Amino acid sequence: MKAIKSIDDLKTLTDEIKVKSIGDKKKVQICIAMATCSIASGSGKVLEFFKEEMPKQPFEFMIRSTGCLGLCHSEPTVEVTLPDSDPVVFGSVDVKMARSIIDDFIKSGKTIDGVIEGN
Amino acid sequence: MKSKQIKIALRNCGHIDPEDIADYMSKDGYAALGKCLIGSREGVVETMKKSGLRGRGGGGFPTGKKWELAAAVPGEKKYVICNADEGDPGAFMDRSVLEGDPHSVLEAMAICGYAIGADEGYIYIRAEYPLAIKRLKIAMAQAREAGLLGKNILGTGFNFDIGLKYGAGAFVCGEETALIKSMEGNRGEPVMKPPYPAQKGYMGKPTNVNNVETFANIPAIINNGADWFASIGTEGSKGTKVFALAGKVKNVGLVEVPMGTTLRELIYEIGGGILNGKKFKAAQTGGPSGGCLTEKHLDTPIDYESLKQAGSMMGSGGLIVMDEDDCMVAVAQFYLDFTVEESCGKCVPCREGNKVLYQLLNKITHGKGELEDLKKLKDFSEVIKSASLCGLGQTSPNPVLSTLDNFYDEYYEHVTEKKCRSKHCRALIKYIIIPEKCVGCGACKRACPAEAISGEVKKTHLIDQEKCIKCGACYQKCKFNSIIIE
Repeated sequence: MKAIKSIDDLKTLTDEIKVKSIGDKKKVQICIAMATCSIASGSGKVLEFFKEEMPKQPFEFMIRSTGCLGLCHSEPTVEVTLPDSDPVVFGSVDVKMARSIIDDFIKSGKTIDGVIEGN
Repeated sequence: MKSKQIKIALRNCGHIDPEDIADYMSKDGYAALGKCLIGSREGVVETMKKSGLRGRGGGGFPTGKKWELAAAVPGEKKYVICNADEGDPGAFMDRSVLEGDPHSVLEAMAICGYAIGADEGYIYIRAEYPLAIKRLKIAMAQAREAGLLGKNILGTGFNFDIGLKYGAGAFVCGEETALIKSMEGNRGEPVMKPPYPAQKGYMGKPTNVNNVETFANIPAIINNGADWFASIGTEGSKGTKVFALAGKVKNVGLVEVPMGTTLRELIYEIGGGILNGKKFKAAQTGGPSGGCLTEKHLDTPIDYESLKQAGSMMGSGGLIVMDEDDCMVAVAQFYLDFTVEESCGKCVPCREGNKVLYQLLNKITHGKGELEDLKKLKDFSEVIKSASLCGLGQTSPNPVLSTLDNFYDEYYEHVTEKKCRSKHCRALIKYIIIPEKCVGCGACKRACPAEAISGEVKKTHLIDQEKCIKCGACYQKCKFNSIIIE
């Protein structure tokens, strides 16, 4: 990132970033928790899987590796936000479940098991 | 049912990429710093005071007041220190913040630097947090590149940069004077206060030390206003607190709730209740410095004052839930074992006193306790509390005092009847085979590592109590529930 020279520049830049992130809402957004706890329970493989599989899909997407949501009881967690929808958090995700998230939830819009409610 | 949560300190954790400054900025990152730099230093301190934010590391000292003190001390050179030496067993909120939202801490430290007149900051972080360190380094490099750390920040003439110092994982180094000693390259031992770090801290200069979670709240307070923050929580404790729910609760993890949430809401609504349908017995807050809350405290709104009143303390927010299988004497012993190990040894009451407490507890859990030991426990605890140099010793007897207060019956049974009602203390239990139920399958006999079980196939087996090491292997193996613990 270029050095921000003034407070006005900071505001302009923040606005630009926000406009871009509103544009991102048209994409399928996938957040994979990658904190120490998540990695210890296997989120690395899940992240790899999404990175490999998503480019093969016919829609725009965005993958983010994030910190954790504090849901230690259900790591690894994956938060999926479909275009213009509320985020849905999946818990105890392994590669098999990640497959089902792409095929059943994202592509076919089915409800699948493993959703963690209300966090 | 996690709707009772309000996320302020954890607002970005799990929602942004911690290694991407633009992601942080999309959530108004660094807007608070910009806002502060336009206004006066006094204004920032005033906002902090008005917000009512108190130190989240344990003590609960008002943050605004702390900043005001550091700001008022004259001096060309001052320091801001972030205490990331998270040492309470079972607490990990600081790690989560640093791994999930490192920029919020950097931004808050810069704000603090501006408010008190410091140009240098350090994060004292335990070396056991390699991922947090990695992400902090990335965040610091990005902030420098973007001109948000370093010289002439945002063209305002304000200089501030941050460095890292690693701790070796000593519990006492979470105490601010010991932390400063350790940062200076000395042994991590506390010193007498006053002088307070605000007057004479790191390298003898005025220093402000705040905890990670405290810092993480600050950009949100600046952005949303002190009144917004002060509208959440209770009379004396504003805002939210992150708790690390652990132990015998279904949903272990980090939760952030408004101050004043009750223990019942935390454990049953957010935590999902006790594991395996067992009965709640106690919740330990404040780690080795805290105490136990019991059933009678389930509906007490949790804040700094109410916890203190209940003989515990907020601490950093570890909350370990215990059920009927946990022996409270053994719990006290566990914490004392920790403090004995972690006492720096500088002052006698803490170094020797805690050892005596531990030995007394050990005697009791091994069935050798006498009634007068209970009085000794209490007396020694009082002395250690009042005569120790730093917070470690002043609070280390709390687990003993609070379990003695709330579970005196259990202590009494241990010493008079040599009985542990939770069937936890090995020296006080016996494994016995009920002849009527035993089918003579031999599973227990094969499982026993001490060859303490005898009996022919299809005939009743017997445990030789002399040989039995009470490992419980037979109990686990028996499919007919014919072994009981007495």
